[in-house]
Formats: sequence, C-alpha cells, structure tokens
Amino acid sequence: MSTSEHPSTGTDRGGRLIDARLHLLDRQILDCDGVPVATVDDIELSGIESDGGGTSSAPRIEAILTGSTLMTRIFGGRLPRSRLHRITWDDVAEIGITLRLRVRSESLDATWPERWVRDQIISRIPGGRHAPD
Amino acid sequence: MLLTDLLDLPVHDHNGDRVGWVCDIRFRIPARPAASDSGGVASPEVVGILLSPRRRGSYLGFERTDVHAPVLLAWWIRWRHRGTCLVPWSDVDHVEDGAVVLDAQYRRESPLLSR
Amino acid sequence: MKSLFAVALGILTAIGGFLDIGDLVTNAVVGARFGLSLAWVVPVGVLGICVFAQMSGRVAAVSGRATFEIIRERLGPRMAVANLCASFLINLLTLTAEVGGIALALQLASSVNPKLWIPVAALAVWLVIWRVKFSVMENVTGVVGLCLVMFAVAVFLLGPDWGQLADQVFTPSLSDGENLAAYWYYAIALFGAAMTPYEVFFFSSGAVEEKWTVRDLAKSRLNVLVGFPLGGILSVAIAALSAIVLMPGGVEVSSLSQVLIPVAEAGGKLAVAVIILGIVAATFGAALETALSGGYTLAQFLGWSWGKFRRPVEAARFHLTMLVLLIVAVGVLMTGVDPILVTEYSVVFSAIALPLTYLPVLIISNDPQYMGEHVNGPVVNAIGTVYLVIIVAASAAAIPLMIVTGAGQ
Repeated sequence: MSTSEHPSTGTDRGGRLIDARLHLLDRQILDCDGVPVATVDDIELSGIESDGGGTSSAPRIEAILTGSTLMTRIFGGRLPRSRLHRITWDDVAEIGITLRLRVRSESLDATWPERWVRDQIISRIPGGRHAPD
Repeated sequence: MLLTDLLDLPVHDHNGDRVGWVCDIRFRIPARPAASDSGGVASPEVVGILLSPRRRGSYLGFERTDVHAPVLLAWWIRWRHRGTCLVPWSDVDHVEDGAVVLDAQYRRESPLLSR
Repeated sequence: MKSLFAVALGILTAIGGFLDIGDLVTNAVVGARFGLSLAWVVPVGVLGICVFAQMSGRVAAVSGRATFEIIRERLGPRMAVANLCASFLINLLTLTAEVGGIALALQLASSVNPKLWIPVAALAVWLVIWRVKFSVMENVTGVVGLCLVMFAVAVFLLGPDWGQLADQVFTPSLSDGENLAAYWYYAIALFGAAMTPYEVFFFSSGAVEEKWTVRDLAKSRLNVLVGFPLGGILSVAIAALSAIVLMPGGVEVSSLSQVLIPVAEAGGKLAVAVIILGIVAATFGAALETALSGGYTLAQFLGWSWGKFRRPVEAARFHLTMLVLLIVAVGVLMTGVDPILVTEYSVVFSAIALPLTYLPVLIISNDPQYMGEHVNGPVVNAIGTVYLVIIVAASAAAIPLMIVTGAGQ
C-alpha cells in the first residue's frame, strides 16, 4: 500500500511542528517497502543532562526506541536500556501518520522476534512460504 | 535522556512551587537546505514543553489543534485542559531527577500548533 | 454476480456479527419469549453499526490505517490495553462458540456427534485462513451465507397474522411471566450483537486487505448499506418465526435444532436443508471473522506485520496468533462446554470494548491529518455522538442487568 496515494500531512522541508505524544509515540514504523516494523515506544533525546545545566542549544532527537514496553507504559517503571531496540534517526525517511524508514526491516534488530517466529515456526508448516490462492 | 523520562514530570517554577505537569514536548523539524540531499528527515529539535494544569495528559490534543469536530467532545476536552500552555525551552532552567525547573521569568505561549 | 461479490465483505461482516451461532439462538429465544416487542432494537443497532462501519471503512480507505491501529495511536496505553484485553477475549470466546456452532450445524445435517466434527471444523477454518485468498474467502462465504434469506422467506410461507405481528412491534409490551429487567437485558444483548466491535475491526482490516483507496469510498458505502441492513432483517425474521410458531405454545428455545422448527413448518425438508447450509456458511464465516479479528487486533496493537495479503512468512506472528487461538478454541470445546453458553459471557467484555472502540473511530474520522478532505460531515458527527452516549449507557447497564437477571433467565 503506497502512502503516496493518501493525503500528504505536510512537507518535510518546512519548519513543521510536531508534538511527541500526539504525533510520534505509538505510531507505526514502516520500512522502506512499507512492511510494518514496530511501534514507536520511546525517543532518545540528546542535549539534556539529568542533573542541571546544559540547555544552551536545543536538544535533538537522536533515535527511536522500540521494545516490549506494554507493562511499563501501564504500570510505570522503565525497561533496562538493553531491552530496547534502537533505530537511529538517520534511518527515518518520512514522518506522516506513520514513520517510514530508509532501510529494510531485515537489517534491524527490532524485527528479531518476527524473524524468529518466521524461521522457527511458520516456515516449518507446509504452505507457509506460498502466497494464498 | 529518554522522552518518557520527561513526560508527566512535575514542573516547578524558580521558587519551587509546582505550576503543572509536562504533558507533551514540542519539536520542530528544521527545513533542510535543498542542496544537502542525503534524503530523510532532519533531526527534530525541541521547541518547548507543554505545561498542563492536570496530571493526566491529553492524548487527544483538541486543546492544541483547531479541529472542532465532533463538537461536544472537542468542547469538553478543551474545557478540561484549559490552561495548557507552551513554555519555550529557553525558559527551562534545568531538568533534575523528578522535576523540571523553570527560569524566574518564563513565558506562557499559546499551545496551538500552527499549520 | 460480480456486483454481488463487490458487497461480499459487507455481507460477510454482517453475517459474522449478527447471525453467528450465539445470535441465531438469541434471536430465537427473544422471539419465543417476547414476540416481536424487542424488534425496535434491531434498526437502532443497524443504524449505529452502519454509521460506524462506514466511518472506519472510510478511514481505512483514505489513510490506510485499520481500526485497532487507530485505537493504539489515539487512546493512550491504559485504555488501549483495556480494549485489547476485552476485544481479544471476545474474539476468543466467540471463535470457540463458532467452531462449536459449525460442529452443531454439521450434526444437524449428518447426525454425527459434534465432538467428532470439532477438530474437522477447526482444521477447515485453519486451512482457509492459511491458504485461501481473502477475496475468495469473502465471496464464497458471503454468497453461500445468503441461503439464510430462507428465514425471511419462511416468515411469508407461514402466512402469519400480520396485524398481530405489527401490534407486537409498534406497541411493545411484556408477555406473561417476563419482567422488565429481562426485557432490557435482551435489548442490550441485541444492541451489542448488532454493534459488536469485531465487525468494525474486520471490516476496516478487510478494507486494507482489499487495498481500498479514496476511489473505493462508494464501494465501502455500498457494502455497509447492503450488508448490515440485510443482517438486521434476517435477525428480525428469526425472531418473527419463533414468535409465530413457538411463542403461542410457550416453547423455550435452548438449542440450535429448535431454531429450525418454524422453518420446517413453513417449507418442509427443502427449507430446512437450505437453512442448514446457510447456518454452516454463517458459522464458518463467523469463525473466520473472529479468528482473523483476533489476529488483526493483536498484531495491529503491537505493530506487527499483518494481513492475509502477505505470505505467512511475511506476517509470521499474525498467523501464529490465529493458530494458537484455534488450538485453544478446540481445547475448550473438547471439555464439553456448551458453545452457546460461552457467548453469553462475552456480553461482559463487549460492555468494555464498545465505547473504547467507537470513540477513537469517531475522533479519527474527524482528524484532517488522517482524512484530508474526507472528514465527517456534521450529520454523521451528530449521529455518531448520540450513539456514543447510547453505547456508554448500554455498557454501564449491561453488567448489572446480567447479574440481576442471571444472564437472562
């Protein structure tokens, strides 16, 4: 499904304003072919220190993080950093109602669970590799 | 620092009084000069924090956009979250563990997202 | 035929929503106990689902986002998770009932013990999900399901006293031995059956499966306007049959075979054969719809790759979810539990899932970032808001009524 068929949400060459909770968090991340990768679970910011000072230049977004944050989003607390998969911001191609990347999902750490289920379970069931007819 | 570390933090003014909670963070995607086309989106920079008088932030955003439909719901959400404002990042003094502290003189700007 | 296939998605969605095994029996029960005095609930429910299904179909066509993805994006984690749990459980309970229903319907046709049919039915559902294209699946079940129109035909064949029926419809009153609480419990159950959330999940995901775009908006509207009213009419027809044949004798409906009594009286063995074929198709379609909805709900919430249009290896966790759902369903059924009883408890979860599903749909269909120029008009918004109030009221009343009446005793 190509996003160019759907109304544009604004060009990326202007000073567009977005709010993190409204427009970034929980949005779908798609790879360059439109295959779903994961959802935006958190965002890594640079330029803010947690104990004072350091606000000379505006902080920027360094990366998107994704992981199993369901429990922590409801009940609170924080997942250890090692459990969050990082997608660097340079890989982002487009922000609309979904986030589109410039790379393929295969090359990302974040898609490991999908690849595991595919390789260990689904491809072992007869007919798994064929398109339905 | 992670975004979720900042969201829902209490916001204190210079005297230590709580003035609200961080309900969202606003970013600007800077315009990319046409010459440098490595493709992709430039890294968004923080414009400011959205200060809300209520602890439970708004996920629906009616108080920040000019979407007026459905009428009753939009009106109710706007009323509930009246008093939400944007504090520019330059007026934030520092972020400490468990709170955001503002400068002595901080501006309260309109939270509307301009289109 | 081609134009019939164009509305197959709407018909399949409606069949799975209104005419699944639980609703077939509930409509017959309602007819036997209350006559047609609850018939007014059906048009109310049909209008509601038409408006919301049309909204979610439009959202899917214009923005490419299916309903549960929107719920995740707009409701915040706590409410979205509450909806996920409720909806997933509804899907599981209903799927269990449907697989059991297929077995019961096949028993009617063959007199073979349903327990033997259960694994066969589940395997058949799995094979269709695994290997059959979405469009073929919807076309076949939609068309064969049209056999259920025999219910409406049977009403005419019985030559009832139309005056008396009209009386029951337009001046609802409680028959002897019934109380107000039971009346309202069934009213909410019928309303909930018409507006079951998985209808919207299935319809919008189906729109994405069929790759609908802005050019298909008219088709989306047609699907909605043909499918759901048809489902409503057949619901009322089943109640009418019970009202005509079973109510005068005070016969209580408690099993699928009793639903057939009026049909047999109307048209004999041929009518019964057509109806059984229709019931098999309807329960099979409902099983497909709920299994796929279970997969869609979980995959869309968690951001997985999903869709029957993708090969199973390209949507691995989605297909695995459905496989697990079917295995659990078979497991539950093999313990001998009555599948129809199982669906009664899904009313509880519906009460939670309904408002949390339709609120985001109403909001997103007004959001220009998603919809561009295709946002809702004021009339649709007005109707949608009114229905949201009705839905919240029904949800609030559902569980207390269920407790007070002991699930409709």
